[in-house]
Order: sequence, then structure tokens, then C-alpha cells
Amino acid sequence: MLINTGIATQELIKKLIPSPERRARGPYAMVECFQEIPCNPCSTSCPFGAILPMKDINDIPTIDLDRCTGCGICAGVCPGLAIFIIDESKGDGTATVTIPYEFRPLPEKGETVRAVNRQGNIIGDGVVTRILASKKTKTPLITVQIPAELVYEVRFLNLIDDKSNSEEPSSTYQSVVTDDLSSKVLDTVEIDDTAGTENDEDEIIICRCEGLTLGVIRDLIREGYTTVDEIKRISRAGMGPCQARTCGPLIASEIARMTGQPIAEIQPSAHRPPVKPLPIEFFLGGDSE
Amino acid sequence: MTLPKSASIVIIGGGISGCAIAWNLANRGIKDIVVLEKDTLANGSTGRCGAGIRMQWAAEKNCRLAQYSVDFFEMANETLQYERDIEFEQCGYLIVAVNEKEAEQFKKNVKLQNSLGIPSVYLTPEEAREIVPILDTSQFVAATFCQKDGHLNPFHTTDAFALAAERLGVKIFKHTEVTGIDVKNGRIGSVETTRGRIATDIVVNAAGGWSKAIGAMADIDIPTYVQRHQVLVTEPLEPIFSPMVMGFSYNIYIQQVPHGSIIMGRSDNTEPLDFRTTSGWKFVEEMTKTCSKLLPALRTANILRQWAGHYCMTEDAQPIYGPVPGLEGMYLACGFSGHGFMLAPATAQLITEMILGESLTIDVSDLDVGRFERRELVFEHSVV
Amino acid sequence: MMYEIDLAVIGGGPAGLMAANTAAEAGAKVLLLERDGHLGGQLVKQTHKFFGSEEQHASMRGNDISTMLGDRLGSFGERVTVWKSATVIGFYEDGVITIDHNGIYKKVKPMRVVVATGASEKFLSFPNNDLPGIYGAGAVQTMMNVYGIRPGQRVLMIGAGNIGLIVSYQLLQAGVSVAAIVEGLPHIGGYAVHASKVRRAGVPILTSHTIVRADGAESVESATIAEIDRGWNVIQRTMKTIACDVICISVGLTPLAELLWQAGCKMRYIPSLGGSVPLRNDCLETTVKGVFIAGDVSGIEEASAAMVEGRLAGLEAAASLGFKSERYCEERNDCMEQLAALRSGPTAEKIRSGLACAECR
Repeated sequence: MLINTGIATQELIKKLIPSPERRARGPYAMVECFQEIPCNPCSTSCPFGAILPMKDINDIPTIDLDRCTGCGICAGVCPGLAIFIIDESKGDGTATVTIPYEFRPLPEKGETVRAVNRQGNIIGDGVVTRILASKKTKTPLITVQIPAELVYEVRFLNLIDDKSNSEEPSSTYQSVVTDDLSSKVLDTVEIDDTAGTENDEDEIIICRCEGLTLGVIRDLIREGYTTVDEIKRISRAGMGPCQARTCGPLIASEIARMTGQPIAEIQPSAHRPPVKPLPIEFFLGGDSE
Repeated sequence: MTLPKSASIVIIGGGISGCAIAWNLANRGIKDIVVLEKDTLANGSTGRCGAGIRMQWAAEKNCRLAQYSVDFFEMANETLQYERDIEFEQCGYLIVAVNEKEAEQFKKNVKLQNSLGIPSVYLTPEEAREIVPILDTSQFVAATFCQKDGHLNPFHTTDAFALAAERLGVKIFKHTEVTGIDVKNGRIGSVETTRGRIATDIVVNAAGGWSKAIGAMADIDIPTYVQRHQVLVTEPLEPIFSPMVMGFSYNIYIQQVPHGSIIMGRSDNTEPLDFRTTSGWKFVEEMTKTCSKLLPALRTANILRQWAGHYCMTEDAQPIYGPVPGLEGMYLACGFSGHGFMLAPATAQLITEMILGESLTIDVSDLDVGRFERRELVFEHSVV
Repeated sequence: MMYEIDLAVIGGGPAGLMAANTAAEAGAKVLLLERDGHLGGQLVKQTHKFFGSEEQHASMRGNDISTMLGDRLGSFGERVTVWKSATVIGFYEDGVITIDHNGIYKKVKPMRVVVATGASEKFLSFPNNDLPGIYGAGAVQTMMNVYGIRPGQRVLMIGAGNIGLIVSYQLLQAGVSVAAIVEGLPHIGGYAVHASKVRRAGVPILTSHTIVRADGAESVESATIAEIDRGWNVIQRTMKTIACDVICISVGLTPLAELLWQAGCKMRYIPSLGGSVPLRNDCLETTVKGVFIAGDVSGIEEASAAMVEGRLAGLEAAASLGFKSERYCEERNDCMEQLAALRSGPTAEKIRSGLACAECR
């Protein structure tokens, strides 16, 4: 599922694929936006009116492919980088995909790059045929020529390592490519599975100003100090310079967890001025402008 | 824990006074004592106070009450079997006199205090500076000092009394507000709360600022009123000075507490007469001015927080102790006017003796509620 | 001395900038108080393009929006005073605001106040969470996008909300590797398009996972993560350790409402709005008369909503002082419509229900 993995499913993609006639006719936009979110720049950006006006800003964009010229303006505007321009009209077994690409360095025209799919896996090579770097959107559009059968797969590109110098980090993440998240890929090591027990948690520092651990807080709650204020009075948690900014919510949620009280009903301790520590002499000055 | 249907004694108020009285009564073998607190323990004046303990008073009665309390606090961890620590530090009180008139009064005070066995001494500014090196000696003409005065953690002390009382069978109900008191034929019948009714013959009104409202529930007028008092605290610093420094004319009390923070407060007659615990910018401006005059080295200390509580005031700034004429069963322990915290052990002892019909360790019969009608007020001038 | 002014706007982020601009436009004398040395708040680190519609400058990048709004403020001349490096340190019951302005103590008594103080990051407790190398997402964003510093070599991101996803993307842009994004919920909290962006760049997103602990001698060297069940209990056998030198925590924001507490506003804890928020009417006025709110301090939302709220609060605060142009009704309706639209979709369902609980009158 898209909302579990961030990867659009085949069913979602299939719905976007136009008729064979349209595919043969020339470039068109694929709007891979499947979630109702409050966003509409694509619909107002198209000079040809191909992305239909939205009744509601949360509408999923609808594209009229008869009007779409594949100009790519929407692809540069889309804040989600979710629009790609596909051109399968050449009919020579190659196709191009135009990808919004906000990484540096940019590839150069004619350069061979790795073609990457939605999962982040390299699935082939491509050649950069065009680079459009708009000053307005600051989102460069890179057009890559790839085998035609990969045109619904390739959605990202990687520069080839030796060019961008392997020390350069723009490519280091390329090694972390995985689909089923087997532990190997994540550089995992075997660990003692007794970790993560309650005792372990008891050592967690909750109040950094006073150096109080979760264990201390839990003991107090067990003893019947079940408000943030009572814990503060007995233990000094929250009396330090941070004024309970960090520990207050953590203590409240621990009280809620241990006592079953709804967290909404747990009163925070009072918020007192000054909001940050200031020296006594600061208040003596004052301006007389 | 469900509210019992009846109790031998219901104590209203979970501050230091209520908790100390509960423990003291239970310690004398009284069973079925209930303490009712509308919020959490030490949430009123106790938990917001400056936490100083002193025996240097101008009136003999106050000296004696304080002396009793200091003796108690010295052994309180043991007496109450408290595992945390009430943090009683006998680091002394140094009180400065700003003019000759005040200095003369201080000489008399020391004489009185010494006659009662309180080891206070009269000091020149230079001698005072040996005790608190950061004092600006040009700002005062004399001082008194008593090493046995000191500082106490109000939360832990209340906690210590409450835990000890509970071990003796006292039932303490937090978040339980008193909503009414039934009186029949001039006698207390029961107490009504947000969690039910408790039948009882005896009510101890230790509700601090709320004592007047509690009195009104039984149709009696307790002439107390509340006034906001503000305090501020700095970040913890390395030890600089240990005694509580106090000036009546200067209108300041200031102390570095054992934890390292410096706590300071002052009085202001323009403060609102209500329960608000918000604090004001004028207080910070006035407080920092006074502090940097008397203790200029503290100018660089960072203020962490200001807060407010209230004094439960009486006309003569003295407590009200004892029964109420015409209402059998109600005992008052209120109107402490800013000193209830330090007097709590004496308060507990005296209220216990009154309820048990024993002779009083310290004669406080003139601190009864009737004195206001009789116009026999007992003034104490050594207050901030 | 005590300064007097029609309107004080506390916070120079998207909401505050809009409030100040709108109120000044209406004719009010405005004092804008910004804690940082520059205006823009979080906008200045937001190098990505904004969502929303053109009215909220969608498709512009946050840092550009900030410059634009700041410049517009300058056009009002003496009607607008901007104090940068000005931290409001107290909001008192008599309506006085005390300020640390570049180390100088100042007091202002404004007729109206718009509190637009934004939010702070929530923290997470886990063993060794005090090791160097553990940052909030905001800090990482500031390091990279304001100061141009990479936080480390390899980051483990905790939280797949929009901020977690966007900061992961920006880390990649900065040339930092992202080992994985760990999310406790069974689904990605942020927008799918953001998730897809980092996913195709090779970053795994692990939903129903949590961080169990951090480890390292002097600083973070690894993190242990594990799958969790529906009760958020760790499934022991699924624990794995990930090598990383940075753990970036992005588990949500909470309104920075201290000043509203101090001012005495009635507050309510509303989880879907990020924590305790002030009750407000449809003019964004709190229960303390004359105190208005806008942006994340009124409930965590996107910057687009913050800007519209800022505009509405500025409009209403000015109008309540009599600065009301003939376009007032039109502008008010426009704000209401924009807010309704931004909050109408399925991703805003929680915000809608949260806001319903925060209404008063």
C-alpha cells in the first residue's frame, strides 16, 4: 500500500496509462498524486487548461490528455514532485521520461545515468537528453531516454559513481536500496533480545535539568504522586532552567500510562515568567528611549 | 479509597498545618481521622512560601511557638520516620536594621530572645559581613543573627507529616473539596464534600486562605483575608551565602537554599486581596532593585521563575487558634499571616491539646477568634 | 518606559508575518516581535516548495515566501515597527508584555496582541537518548539549511510525518545518507508524495516500528529498532541494530503556548492539535479579550493554514480597534473559505475534529 511504503501500487499506476493512440501521439503528463491533500498549483499552472480546475483544493488532479502537450510546466510546479512527462512517440523501442530532480550535481546532457524505479532500485541505464532548469521553480526537469518498456517504472535517476567522486555523498544513499526490508540491507547485527525491557527504560533521563530518570518518576507515581505538580514538588522535576518544557509532557504521558487517566485531564504545572533565565541586572536596566 | 461515612475528626486542608495536626492527633492515639484536601497536598500557601524558619521575633509568644517548632524540626526526619529528608538546614537568619530606631528595637528583641533561650546575637554591619560576605554594609546600621534559624523543604515536610499520619491510620483524601458543613443545635454534625458526606463531631479548619469560606459554611465569620505574595528564584549557583537575609524596612527576605537557588520575596500592600497566583512585572522590578542594593554581587544571577501564593492574613498578623464560641466542634488553625509553615509543629501540638482538653504547652488563649471582637489585638512588628 | 501600540504580534514566522502585514494594511500601528535575528521563523529553513493554493503561495519555497512577506512589511513605513532578537519573556495579567530586546529590558502595553509563537518539537524517551548525535528535526533543518552544516554521515529518522519525510529529503539533498525512516503508526503520517520522493531515492520507510535504544561510546554509533504490535509493544524477535551517527527525532510538534498560559487563556489538551491549545472564537480571539492567536500555537497544521490564520487574526485584531476597511467582510470570508478548503480533505480530518473541540462561544 502506498500509505505503508511510499510506493505507488501497480493498480494505481495502471489507471494513469492513457490509450495507445494517445501514447503514440506525443508527450503527456502522468500525475502520480493519489491522495486528497490541500494542494492545487498544478491545476492553476497549466497554460492549456489540461489539468482541470479543482472544485475543492483537496481534489485529486484530473488531467485532460487531449489538451496536454507534455510541456512539463506542471511537473516543475508540483510541490510533491509527483508529475512526470512521458514521451513514447518515437516508436524505436526507446522512450523518454522527464523527472523533477532537485539534487546536485546535475547530470549533463548526453550523460549516461542509472535509471531508478519507485522502490529506489536501479533497473537500467538512461541517457540524459534534456535539462530544463527553471529559475522560477528551482526544480530542474531532467529528461532521460530509456528502453520503452521501462517508461512506467523509471522515476528517479542516480549519477554513475565514478563521475561524482565516490566520496561525494550525493550517491552514498544508493547503497541502501531495498524492497523487502531484510535485515542485511540495513547493516543489522544480532543483538541480545533482553534489551528494551522496563529496567532498561528506567535509566532514561527524563528531567535533564535535575538529572532524574524514568525509574524515579515511575516510583513516585507508584507511591501515589499522580499529578505533574506533586512529582515536581517531591523530585524537583521541572524546576530547572527549562521549566518542564521537555520533562513535563513526558511525565504527563507516564502518569497517563500508569494510572489510566486520559492525558487530556492531566494538568501541566504552571507556566511562569520569565520564559528564559535572565540575570537580575537585566531588569534593572530597561530602556528610556 | 472511598470516603468513610463517619470520622472522629475531619481536618480541612492538606497544607502543612492540616497534615501536622493529623499526624499529631493520630500520634496521640486518635483513630478515624480524615484529612480533606481540594487539590493536592501543599498546593496552597505551604507549597508557595519562602520556606524560612526563624525564632527571632519581637513578641514573646511567637518566639515560643517558633522555638517549639525548631526543636521539632531538628528531629523531624527521625520523629516522622521520613526517608527522603525534610532538608532542615540551620543556616541562620540575618536580619538587618536600616536605622537607629530599628536597631534599638533589635537590641530589645535580642534581649527577649536570649531570655527565652534563643541564641540570637546583635551585630555591627562589619560583623554581619563576616557571616554574609556579599552584603553591602553601607545599606544598614546593625543586624541580628541566630544560627539555629534556617530553611526547610516545604514539600518534603508536608509529605513527611502526611506519610507518617497515614501510617498511623489517618485517611487523606486529595482532590476532595468540602462543599458544606451541617450544624445542628450549635454542634457540628457532618461535612459534605464533592465525594460524599462524612458524619463527625469535630472539624479542624486548617484551610488557610479558604478558612473564611469554610467558616461561612457553618455560618461563622472568621476574620481572615487573603493577600497575594510573590517570590522569585534564580538558577542554582555555587554556595555564596547560607543564612536567610531579611530586612523589615528593606522589605526583603532572601536566601540561597541548599539546592543552590536563591529565593527572594517581598511584601506589597498594593497586592490584590484574592486567590490569584499569577505574578507581576512590577514585583520583578522592585525585587531585583532591592536585592542588588543589599547584595550587589547577585546582579549576575539568572532568574529562573517567579510565582505567587497568598498569605492568610488577620488584622494583627497573628494566627487564630482554638474553638469557636457558639459552635461546638470546630477548631481553628488559620490566619497565620505568612508564618504558618514555620509554626506548624506548635500548631499541631496546641490544636491536639485543645481537642483532648489538655493544658496548653504554650498559652495561646489570647490568639482566639474572639480577640477581634474584643479588640484585643496582638501585634507583631517583625514581619515581611 | 512603557511602550504603547495598537497591536503587538509575537512571532515573525508565517502566521506572524501575515498578521502584521494584514493589520498594518488595515491601518493599525503594529509592533512585530521576533526572537531570532531574522524574520521568517521556520520558513527560512523550508527549502522545499509549499503545498496549498496560490493564495498561500503554494509552489513557492518557504525561504522565498519569508523574504517576500518581510519586504512587504517594509512598505508600511513607520506604521510597522519590527524588533528582531526580541524574546517576549512574560505576558502579565494586566496585559503588559516584557521583552528581552537584544539584551535590553523593555515593556509594551499593546491594545491587542496576536500570539503567533509557533511550536516546539516533541521529544521521545528511550535509553541513551542523551547521547550526542541525537537531534530534533528542526535542529537538523537549521544546521543544514541555515548554517550549511551536515549533521553527520548517516541518519536514522524517527517519524514519517511530513517533517520527518521532508527533512529526510533535505538530508539526501545535502548529501547525507538516510538509513531508514522509522514510524510507529501502521501507516505513513505525511503526504504520500513526500514519502514517494524519499522512497525512490532509496530510503526504506518502516511503519509499525519504533526505536528501542541508541548506543555508542562517546556519541551515537547505532540504534536498535523493532517492530511494534498494535499496543505499541516491542516484538522482541524483530529487533535489529542500524549503524548510524545521527538519530533525528521528528515525532511531532506541540504548540508553544507558554505566553498564553501566562496571559490566563483557557486552554484545552487536544491531541490531534498537538497538545494544549487555547480556546478561541471564529475571530481567533482567545478567552482573554484582545489576545488573538494564529499558526501552530493555535494547533499544529501546515504553514499554508498558518498564513491564512495570521491574516485572519491580523484582520480581526485591527477591526476590533476600528481599523476596518470596506473590504473587511470580503477579506474575512476569503480567509474563512481558504481555511475551510485547506481543512476539507481526508488528511485534515483530525484537525477538523480537534478544532471543533477548541471552539468557544
